[in-house]
Amino acid sequence: MRRWLNLFIWNMRFQARYGFYLLYAFLTIFYTVVLFALPITWRGKTAAMLIFSDPAAMGLFFMGAIVLLEKSQRVTAFFAITPLKAFEYVLSKVLSLNAIALVVAGVLAYVSGSRQVFLVLVGTFLSGAIFTLFGVLVATKITSLNQFILFTVPVEAAGFLPAILHLFGITPDYLKYYPANACMDLVSGRGVTFIGLLFTVALIIFLFYFACHEMLRMWQEQGGAKI
Amino acid sequence: MIQVKNLTFSYTKKPFIKDMNFSVNEGEIFGFLGPSGAGKSTLQKILLGMLPGYRGSAIVGGMECREHGSEFYQSIGVDFEYSTMYEKLSARENLEFFSSLYDKRARSIDELLMAVGLENDADKRVSDFSKGMKSRLNFIKALVHDPKLLFLDEPTSGLDPANNRLMKDMILEEKKRGKTILLTTHNMQDATELCDRVAFIVGGQIYAMDSPHNLIMSKGAAVVTYTWIQNGEQTASCELEKMSEDKQLQELIAKNQLQSIHSSEPTLNDIFMEITGRTLV
Repeated sequence: MRRWLNLFIWNMRFQARYGFYLLYAFLTIFYTVVLFALPITWRGKTAAMLIFSDPAAMGLFFMGAIVLLEKSQRVTAFFAITPLKAFEYVLSKVLSLNAIALVVAGVLAYVSGSRQVFLVLVGTFLSGAIFTLFGVLVATKITSLNQFILFTVPVEAAGFLPAILHLFGITPDYLKYYPANACMDLVSGRGVTFIGLLFTVALIIFLFYFACHEMLRMWQEQGGAKI
Repeated sequence: MIQVKNLTFSYTKKPFIKDMNFSVNEGEIFGFLGPSGAGKSTLQKILLGMLPGYRGSAIVGGMECREHGSEFYQSIGVDFEYSTMYEKLSARENLEFFSSLYDKRARSIDELLMAVGLENDADKRVSDFSKGMKSRLNFIKALVHDPKLLFLDEPTSGLDPANNRLMKDMILEEKKRGKTILLTTHNMQDATELCDRVAFIVGGQIYAMDSPHNLIMSKGAAVVTYTWIQNGEQTASCELEKMSEDKQLQELIAKNQLQSIHSSEPTLNDIFMEITGRTLV
């Protein structure tokens, strides 16, 4: 637990050093200005789209950069011969990136006049976990930023498109319990069905297990153990 | 500390490590010497538990390598040949970060930085370090949690003579502290100076294993070379143990006509070449 907590704190320090906090401070101000510029009736849905497509999805974009950086500096090779467990690493990445996402989402929800800030935060947390775990999975497979951008396109299409359509009430029956739609329900403060929530949590558990497995494999390969 | 019996490993169908047997005692510095592709790094990875698909037995610290979990690494320190640091963090921050991954933090970061002459660069970013500075930092990174077993991969590579000496003294100091050290190197001079025993590895097999002194003494004789002036400079040699039988040498000594005399032992590299038919330098 102590090791995990240390890693979580160090991740936040890395993110601060690499300018994540500064970037999101700027983006939060920018999004706030955009929201204030819109008519009050538009703010709720716009805020939901902004939250879902940026702070909640930031893990998908940034995990590639983070893991590529660690790979290039061979830090990941060293992790393979330390007591660090893959689940501690993945969990610390998911939670540290989600910490930024929650603050930004909280501010945007408040600014948009949402009365369901708690639901928005739960939705941001769940969608942030899904996107970051997908980001981890893609990052373990790639060797360049170009590859990462290419590999994340299907994830973005499958994540954003149905959820944004769902926000505007266009939902095919077979996507009723789709996790991205369930997350969008929460992010827009509408609440979620039990089955939708169950599917979302099940997807997160599956992705987490798979991401840990692939991360460990990547560390070992980085250490030269590819067979 | 380490027992390896009938160890065989293969990346393909062809065996890469072939039927290896050796043991390393606690507190010993044991060197793996061999050319690139000989199997040294693969052997190190097996002992580190990174290649579990081997046959035979490889026991480190009383535990079979393929069976241990991540807690095994609490007592292992590894100094890779290449830098494994966050370049944007300072030397001190890197050491603090990596030491936070271990339960035990027994060594003072300031003392370690001072020991390798990096105390004035502690707060400098690693990206601004020279290759030699990164090597020294990498080395002390392997020591922050005071491990019992150290794996050092070419620890003196890229160091200037002064820092090479400093690094070797630190390795000997760690041995005095009771650590078992596995050294992988191409540098025969370092191996001769540091290792209690060495194993010559070529083609995934151990060709010879003993102390550097025994290997040198068992395979080669020291030679005495002397010069004198007689129609220009003349040179002759004889084996050290047969000096008393060399009439010419005795006569030159008796007449005080020797210009120079020196003895030379074969180096570990000469012995390596003789045994394996390969060269490292």
